Amino acid sequence: MEYVNPEGLRLDGRRPMEMRQLRAEIGVISKADGSAVFEMGNTKVIAAVYGPREVQNRSQQLNDQALVRCEYSMANFSTGDRMRKPKGDRRSTEISLVIRQTMEACILTHLMPRSQIDIFVQVLQADGGTRSACINAATLALADAGIPMRDLVTSCSSGFLNGTPLLDLNYLEDSAGGADVTVGILPKLDKVTLLQMDAKLQMDTFENVMQLAIEGCKAVASYIREILLENTKQLESRRGI
Amino acid sequence: MRGLQLSLSKGQKLRLERALEKLESLSSKSNSDASVKVADDIAVNNEDAILKGHGTIELDGRLVATLCGVVERVNKLVYVRSLRARYKPEIGDIIIGRVIEVAPKRWRLEINFSQDAVLMLSSMNLPDGIQRRRTAVDELNMRSIFEENDVICAEVRGFQHDGCLHLQARSQKYGKLKRGQLLTIPPYLVKKRKQHFHHLDQYGIDLILGCNGFVWVGEHVEVRDEMVEDLPNKSEQENEEVEETYTPLDTRENICRAANAVRVMSTLGFMITVEVVTEIVSLSRSLNLDTHEMLGAEFYVLVAEKEAERRSLLKRRK
Amino acid sequence: MLQSKSFVKKTKQGRVVKVVREHYLRDDIYCGAPLCKVCDVAASRLSSTASTILVVDTNVVLHQIDLLENPAIDDVVVLSVVLEEVKNKNLGVYNRLRALCSNSQRRFFVFSNEYHKDTYVKIETGESPNDRNDRAIRVAAQWYQNHLGSAVRVLLITNDRDNKKKAVTDGILAETVESYVKSLGQPALLDLIVQPPSDDVTMEDAEDLRPSKRKTIYPEHKPMSEITSGLHRGIYHQGKLRVNRYNPFEAYVGSESIGDEIIVYGRTNMNRAFDGDIVAVELLPQDRWQEEKSLAIANDEDEEEDDVHLAPSSADDAPRVPSSAGDKNAMPTRPSGRVIGIIKRNWHSYCGSLDPMPMPAGEGGIAHALFVSKDRRIPKIRMQTRQLGNLLDKRIIVAVDSWDRLSRHPSGHYVRTIGEIGDRDTESEVVLIENDIDARPFSSQVLACLPPLPWSVSAEDISNPIRQDLRHLRVFSVDPPGCKDIDDALHCMLLPSGHFEVGVHIADVTNFVHPGTPLDDEAATRGTSVYLVERRIDMLPKPLTEDVCSLRSDVERLTFSVIWEMTPEAEIISTRYTKAIIKSCAALSYVEAQARMDDSRLMDPLTTDLRNMNVLAKIMRQKRIERGALTLASAEVKFQIDTETHDPLDIGMYQIREANQMIEEFMLAANISVAKKILEHFPPTSLLRRHPSPTKEMLEPLIQTAAAVGLCLDVTSSKALADSLDRAVGEDPYFNKLIRILATRCMTQAVYFCSGDLSPPEFCHYGLAAPVYTHFTSPIRRYADVIVHRLLAASLGICRLPDIFQERPRLTSIADNLNYRHKNAQMASRASVELHTLIYFRNRPTDTEARILKIRSNGFIVFVPKYGIEGPVHLMARGQKEGGKWIVDEQQQKIKKIDGQDSYGVLQTVRIHMEVVEPQPNRPKLQLTLI
Repeated sequence: MEYVNPEGLRLDGRRPMEMRQLRAEIGVISKADGSAVFEMGNTKVIAAVYGPREVQNRSQQLNDQALVRCEYSMANFSTGDRMRKPKGDRRSTEISLVIRQTMEACILTHLMPRSQIDIFVQVLQADGGTRSACINAATLALADAGIPMRDLVTSCSSGFLNGTPLLDLNYLEDSAGGADVTVGILPKLDKVTLLQMDAKLQMDTFENVMQLAIEGCKAVASYIREILLENTKQLESRRGI
Repeated sequence: MRGLQLSLSKGQKLRLERALEKLESLSSKSNSDASVKVADDIAVNNEDAILKGHGTIELDGRLVATLCGVVERVNKLVYVRSLRARYKPEIGDIIIGRVIEVAPKRWRLEINFSQDAVLMLSSMNLPDGIQRRRTAVDELNMRSIFEENDVICAEVRGFQHDGCLHLQARSQKYGKLKRGQLLTIPPYLVKKRKQHFHHLDQYGIDLILGCNGFVWVGEHVEVRDEMVEDLPNKSEQENEEVEETYTPLDTRENICRAANAVRVMSTLGFMITVEVVTEIVSLSRSLNLDTHEMLGAEFYVLVAEKEAERRSLLKRRK
Repeated sequence: MLQSKSFVKKTKQGRVVKVVREHYLRDDIYCGAPLCKVCDVAASRLSSTASTILVVDTNVVLHQIDLLENPAIDDVVVLSVVLEEVKNKNLGVYNRLRALCSNSQRRFFVFSNEYHKDTYVKIETGESPNDRNDRAIRVAAQWYQNHLGSAVRVLLITNDRDNKKKAVTDGILAETVESYVKSLGQPALLDLIVQPPSDDVTMEDAEDLRPSKRKTIYPEHKPMSEITSGLHRGIYHQGKLRVNRYNPFEAYVGSESIGDEIIVYGRTNMNRAFDGDIVAVELLPQDRWQEEKSLAIANDEDEEEDDVHLAPSSADDAPRVPSSAGDKNAMPTRPSGRVIGIIKRNWHSYCGSLDPMPMPAGEGGIAHALFVSKDRRIPKIRMQTRQLGNLLDKRIIVAVDSWDRLSRHPSGHYVRTIGEIGDRDTESEVVLIENDIDARPFSSQVLACLPPLPWSVSAEDISNPIRQDLRHLRVFSVDPPGCKDIDDALHCMLLPSGHFEVGVHIADVTNFVHPGTPLDDEAATRGTSVYLVERRIDMLPKPLTEDVCSLRSDVERLTFSVIWEMTPEAEIISTRYTKAIIKSCAALSYVEAQARMDDSRLMDPLTTDLRNMNVLAKIMRQKRIERGALTLASAEVKFQIDTETHDPLDIGMYQIREANQMIEEFMLAANISVAKKILEHFPPTSLLRRHPSPTKEMLEPLIQTAAAVGLCLDVTSSKALADSLDRAVGEDPYFNKLIRILATRCMTQAVYFCSGDLSPPEFCHYGLAAPVYTHFTSPIRRYADVIVHRLLAASLGICRLPDIFQERPRLTSIADNLNYRHKNAQMASRASVELHTLIYFRNRPTDTEARILKIRSNGFIVFVPKYGIEGPVHLMARGQKEGGKWIVDEQQQKIKKIDGQDSYGVLQTVRIHMEVVEPQPNRPKLQLTLI
């Protein structure tokens, strides 16, 4: 299968180094403390943050930091075939864990001892890169909830097909069987908080692919910052004196 | 817009946008670049002796925001005032909360903080008004004072050494709130003032703006003096009677109007003060709108326009 | 700009899924014309002087690709919508079109109209996808005209009348292929044009030449929807149709759904399907299975013929004669069926010649002719030409266009001429084309990858820490005489401990062929060197093959070596792999090596080494046989070629000496050691070679033949088979070998595979009785060995693993290509030998001895050991089935004269006469007759 044609275009018309269209919206769930929708092309993810609030299960309470919990799910209508997905299957448990660990790394949990932060992310439409979209949505939702963070975590995936590193794989490219590298970074601190790959890659190819993903993360970060700043300004101006 | 799920007509949309733009232009002059987002540097002009406040951390010698909000400077203190966030209690804040648990010698209240707040039996006046040690009998009768799900008004007493937030309700104005509506709005829309209890005389209702973003709109209750309390047996009979009585229809309607006013304001993200609420209630009355129509698209647009007008007036007056 | 594409798709499980895909439209797609002022002209491909730019539609590409490949057609814009449609409809044409677009000599430009913001068209409601694509083509053509202005004429080439009309209404210049070609004024080009099947009224003339008038000959193909639903319900079976190479009226469809092969007898049942087509087959009722078969054979008897051909070397290229013995009374077990629809055509172009016919009156007119393919599986093809006189005695290439059910033969068009029939060069080229072998000289890009010549080992190589200096060792090579691509050398040294150190040194090809270079790509596509009788088609350019990599004597060469320490009992104590530098002291031929070993007077160190190795090899061989390895035999022949004329002077069986076996033994050992090593390091991505165990069914003919001569073979395991083969000693010395040859042809070919695709028990190599096996020892002539070298180097940490090993599907596709190339190379070699056999016997009618392999209803098939060929001997004339002078007992595999005078049994020796006859002009064949 040809994923990059000789003219240098991918199946959806992007070039190898191009991302899909990003769109983000903050505050989509009025009941939640923080919420956001994040879209990367046709991948659409909604995230809601509740907390910091009283720990529900007292035995899990931590006396020096906040407890972060995350639940990932996929809407039944998110994929082409409407399948009833069992809750808590291996994949979503794994992604929940990944998102939780990634977000935990940036939340200043020690400022909110004896409390719990719940992050719920749901994939509304899946078209590859759901992991990244979930992390980006969660970051936005956390920022919206006013939870102190070291830095914004942003994530982006990249892959390697037809001997070319490709940024931000869509479902078609993702299911091609090539490597799929998901990277999460703290753009300000320039640190990697998440790195996943489900295939083998040569070391120096891998470095190229990862570098590309990092570039993608940075692009996502600048977009997210723009959205957040706009949102903050709007809130402040609306509020009045 | 957040929480605003209305179908606006084209004209309405335009008007709303214009009003909001106006609001933006009004505020942008005052603090345009004070807004920060997570991981933004905060310029500190190389002042050595600054104090890092809330929402900041130091990173490689720079001051970095950890929240989205507005940078505020008070002398040497630099902090980020967050906008949308849970309530941060300060001693003396008047808050409204909901009882979620009756525990030994205490009630646990949900107050939109990162933990539940604790109201000790000992930090509130007993119904009989007598200052005394709480007995085991009092403890058994706690449910007769507050039950689960009761809405309570109280004051922040402070943090205990174990990190728990304690409340007190040592005045008659505090206590159980009845016959009204509890609204939850983001705490940043409530400004801390001297007075949080408001009696809207003309409508016969009480408006309590809790610092934690819980707003109570209810039938007006006369706060009885402690002097009066001294005569318990007599008034108890009366009390019973009052409670049996029926809240008049227009008081109820007024409660709803005021509540809807708060809803509209908070959805639009405007600061909520008693003046604005009364203004909007009277606006709705003057337009002869039904209570439910206050939540319609047109009214939102009107409120936004009115607010823009009001603020520009305020500005001009300055 | 973002567009969303959404369509409904049906999954394999039959569920209907809605698919939504993004579609980005861009403004950075350029027009490719160098004179354009707006666009970036850096990547422009069209000529700057072109006055006309052609825009072709999908059907033009699909049908007229031969025309497009002609250099007369140039300055063509290929739209991405066209490419996409062509890709979906015919991958072969797509690849040819892509090759055209990337060919720097040609001016074909791909314009991604589907991604251009101005030329993207959205499907309208009620518009069929085809109409939408046609509209997209028109929009793009119009855009080009507007974009480039009046300086250039943009011409839309389409044969679709409707499309053309609409184009003209839109103000686009449009022409049909024919009128455009006519306007070029080159009549020869007109032959390349495919006639659209609908409007050929003239075809009837050709039809009249045939006995069949215009009547329906073939049943109609079922519509696709019916086929899919039928497949779903299990009424129809899908599979690839494979026509029997030796009987074009018999075909097989391997069906997964019933887990067996369905036999299709006769052209009517095959219903216009070609070899390699994916077809849908309907099973016939069981009682008609046998009947259909005899019917088919009887019907087509007039055309059926058996050729004399080389003795096959494995089951894959053996004639597939269904085991008929014993079936007469019982119900036939193999299902037979008929084709009811063709899912995917496998049409390509074919080599052959025209059926001889009288020249029609009038020069230069259009003549209709029948084309006979060299490949017997292909039916005759109808075609028309304006140059009949030229083509009659030529080998030509013809492509198939269509086959409607009114005509007995498919219709096609002329592509090009190869040369005169019977000319050795022409025929050799035919062999190459038939087997898809690229014999073109290497391109300049490929040659640019070669190391500077003359090449010698540099100081850098010597000082390289990964390379061990083994120049002090007494290394030598043993190869066939005249071998120039020496890729293996050996050494053997007695260690002080009494053990032997034995080294196998393989040319270090990967030191010169780096992954990802054009050289590597070329080698990967070629896959293997091809050895024809008179020439060799190299996988790698000559300087590498014959000089830089070849381990010639007395020069320093780089190697990749496997070095064992062995006890005198040939137990391997340790194995070491290293890159090395050697200096071979002698390049021996097998004959020389054998002579040295046999000459007891020679006591020089080299001869001692040889003898030591031979002793070791014998032990190793014995062990291998004890493990169950089969000693198989093949009837390889060897030609002596006249150096001047390249004509064969003599042929004879290839003689196998002890020295050959010795070398073979060490190579096997090296391959096995390397296979173990790479598999251990890269379990999912090793390239291995396996030889599947033959099924009972495959061995059936062998058992039957053996039973006919009173021999009982145990085929339960390779070991049992090896033992019973050893026991099968007849009264004459050749008997055992004959049985072995028969056994060999029952086996399938060994194949390359990617270790991740199969489970370890399937890795096993049946013939060698080795659990894992690979190819390591001939990297100069086999690409598989190059890959294995890289794997081995990576497992030693010498170099990094190239990227292809990251993607298992790619490795699998490489393995598939290697298998395909390997098979084709073998077929080509055989075809070349057959060709030379024919040339050899043309002037030399010969009497010789032959062995009967099989009794048939009208004679028997004999094998001529001396020349390694086999063919039929007819005892009675065609058509005279029963009642002749001969009685056939197929059960006993005996044929008797009616008076009981003569009788022949299987494996019996007979004397035959061999002669080249030409029953049809231009189709000489070898005829065998009993003396």
